Amino acid sequence: MLLLAHRNLFRDRTRFLLSVAGVAVSIGLILLLAGYRSGVYRQSSSYLDNTPGEVVVAERGIRDFLGTSSALPAGAEEAVRQTPGVDRVIPVISQFVIFERHGRKDGFFLIGYEPARGGGPWKLAAGREPAAVDDLVIDRTAANQHAIAIGDTIAVLDRTMRVVGLSDDTTFWAGSIAFARITTLESLLRAPGLRSFLLVTPAAGVTPEALRDRLAVPATEVLIKSEVVANDRKLLARVYDAPIGLMVAIAFLVGVLVVGLVIYAATIERRREYGAIKAIGARNRTLYRVVTIQAFIAAAVGAIVGVVLAYGAGAVLVAWRPQFRVDIQPAAIGVVLAGSLLMALAAALIPARSVAHLEPAEVFRG
Amino acid sequence: MSATLLLARRNLGRNRCRLVASVGGVALALTLTLALDAIYAGVANQLTTYIDRAGADVWVAQAGVRNLHMVASWLADSVTDEVRAVPGVAGVTSILYSTDTIAARDERAVAYVIGLPADPSIGGPWNVVEGSDRVARGEITIDRGFARKAGVSIGDSVTVLGGEARIVGLSEGTANLLNSVAFVSFDDFRATRGGAPVVSFVLVRVVPDASPEAVAAAIERQVPSVTAQSRADFSAQERRFVMDMSADVISIMNVIGFVVGLAVVALTVYVATLARRREYGVLKALGARNTALYRVVSAQAALSVALGFLVALAVTGVIVLVVPRTGLGLELSISAASLAKVGLFAIVIAALAAILPVRQVSSLDPAVVFRRGTAI
Repeated sequence: MLLLAHRNLFRDRTRFLLSVAGVAVSIGLILLLAGYRSGVYRQSSSYLDNTPGEVVVAERGIRDFLGTSSALPAGAEEAVRQTPGVDRVIPVISQFVIFERHGRKDGFFLIGYEPARGGGPWKLAAGREPAAVDDLVIDRTAANQHAIAIGDTIAVLDRTMRVVGLSDDTTFWAGSIAFARITTLESLLRAPGLRSFLLVTPAAGVTPEALRDRLAVPATEVLIKSEVVANDRKLLARVYDAPIGLMVAIAFLVGVLVVGLVIYAATIERRREYGAIKAIGARNRTLYRVVTIQAFIAAAVGAIVGVVLAYGAGAVLVAWRPQFRVDIQPAAIGVVLAGSLLMALAAALIPARSVAHLEPAEVFRG
Repeated sequence: MSATLLLARRNLGRNRCRLVASVGGVALALTLTLALDAIYAGVANQLTTYIDRAGADVWVAQAGVRNLHMVASWLADSVTDEVRAVPGVAGVTSILYSTDTIAARDERAVAYVIGLPADPSIGGPWNVVEGSDRVARGEITIDRGFARKAGVSIGDSVTVLGGEARIVGLSEGTANLLNSVAFVSFDDFRATRGGAPVVSFVLVRVVPDASPEAVAAAIERQVPSVTAQSRADFSAQERRFVMDMSADVISIMNVIGFVVGLAVVALTVYVATLARRREYGVLKALGARNTALYRVVSAQAALSVALGFLVALAVTGVIVLVVPRTGLGLELSISAASLAKVGLFAIVIAALAAILPVRQVSSLDPAVVFRRGTAI
């Protein structure tokens, strides 16, 4: 039976390649989308992942880092610093800024920090950190895209700022991260003393949870960093998961269709042979099995090619648009391989009816 | 109907399964592109709701601020009077603005929080369905959808701008996929910023017959360090922002949709030709030329793509109708440009799909029909 399936499938090489290509495109697409999604999530936490501090202090009611403008009450920084068990406090101001260059709008998550206390770029690729009030460090990929070099100026709100450094690892799903001194943001936002977030490192021997419970500053929200990261992801999921889910579903259906069609074509073409098998006493079940094995072979080979395709397409995508990151997780590969088997099963249903309706007498017809 | 078209239609229609697969595949691929365009266009439309409905003819912001979403704009208090003095200005209302989180019970959501003066002529909620459209200190007007989700109503309190506020009004049409709009008192808002004498935007109504664009230009000339835009311009900038930010994602998805559509149509036309080999052989034996056969194959590709396009249109239409009822806060909108683009995709797909079976047809031996043993 395996032999029959094998022969049916391989006799016409074009058709076999088509069915493999169908599965491969579909699997590759699903894997690429999944990798793109986890890349987006990974990027969303890059600032918090790379900045010291286990506990985040924000304005009361604010539990994410990216979605909103947090403003801490005056005196919050001092109160946190004096809490026992606090080793280090990094104050930052964050503000989303939209700028335009070459007729195209782009966004910066502008971070104001004090270079002496931390919270700045963690991978400076060129130049230096901001020293003067109009100094700005921007992401290298964003700089390349907008043809900005060190020494160039950019209009940020009502100020002209000079790019003094380029950082890596700071591209982002909706723009990139840029850095300036904290005093620059205070004056840009006309809010002297403004602080958006405090990133707090506990002293040795103090757990982040214990420190969180100890930090009771009025009108603030105290959270473990991982909670903030999770909340940022949830925010992203609202925007990203519906379209990506839709596309994964469509890619899956297309895979089923392609494999099903090819095997269907292989089946109707071999109708005479199937009729002959029926005529010598084979049951429908046997024929189904032949069809299903064909589908499985096509799906298995297609899935392997699809995985390779996803890695290749991911590399091409990142080279074309470096702000995207594609993280193909081993777990996703497992899920997708299982999905391809499901695809094969669904595809085998398409030619099943034509097999069942086959007349054994077909073989004797001229 | 010409003989070519008739034959193509028969070839396609005789096998229902293949027809469904081919039309369905094209429809799926085109729906992918069309629906995604509709989602982004819908988001862009929704994001400008506050700009469109606040009632201002001209928006005055901190210099360089041409968008609203998530941005900061801070102007010295004195700018309000300077703007009022510009010829052509009929009235001004200054508001404070920030993107903040509002929280009630276990529900939290991102909101544009607007600080409204005690007696605003413009800038307030435009469709309050319950309670008051005015907010005093300690009060807030929120979107009814959020209130429902959180299970709160008038008189309950929510956390906003680091403090508590009591709900006095519920408005409709103030929410989208990303955020809703909430209104608090100007004084409360200012207090959360340490009482600094600043405003975010000055909303301007122009005198009758004055052009908002001309008044905006006059404001920029007379008041230093501000950016003034007519409502239409501000709205257009906001739309452009969404489109620019989503342009890369959309182009990637367009490529994917295109490749998938092409793969499916090419395959179905190829398979259909394969299965009808005998008939084509008969035609050839009867003296039909290759070109005539190509025409039949191309017509098949064109027919399935055209049908697929129509189905995609219908499916997207249904999605556009259904999604707003799901409570996602998402409205979709199909633009003429998007239709034209997808239509063009469809034509290119059909043209490319018709190329694949060319070799198949031309290498067909008319004698195939006379061979007894050949499988169909």
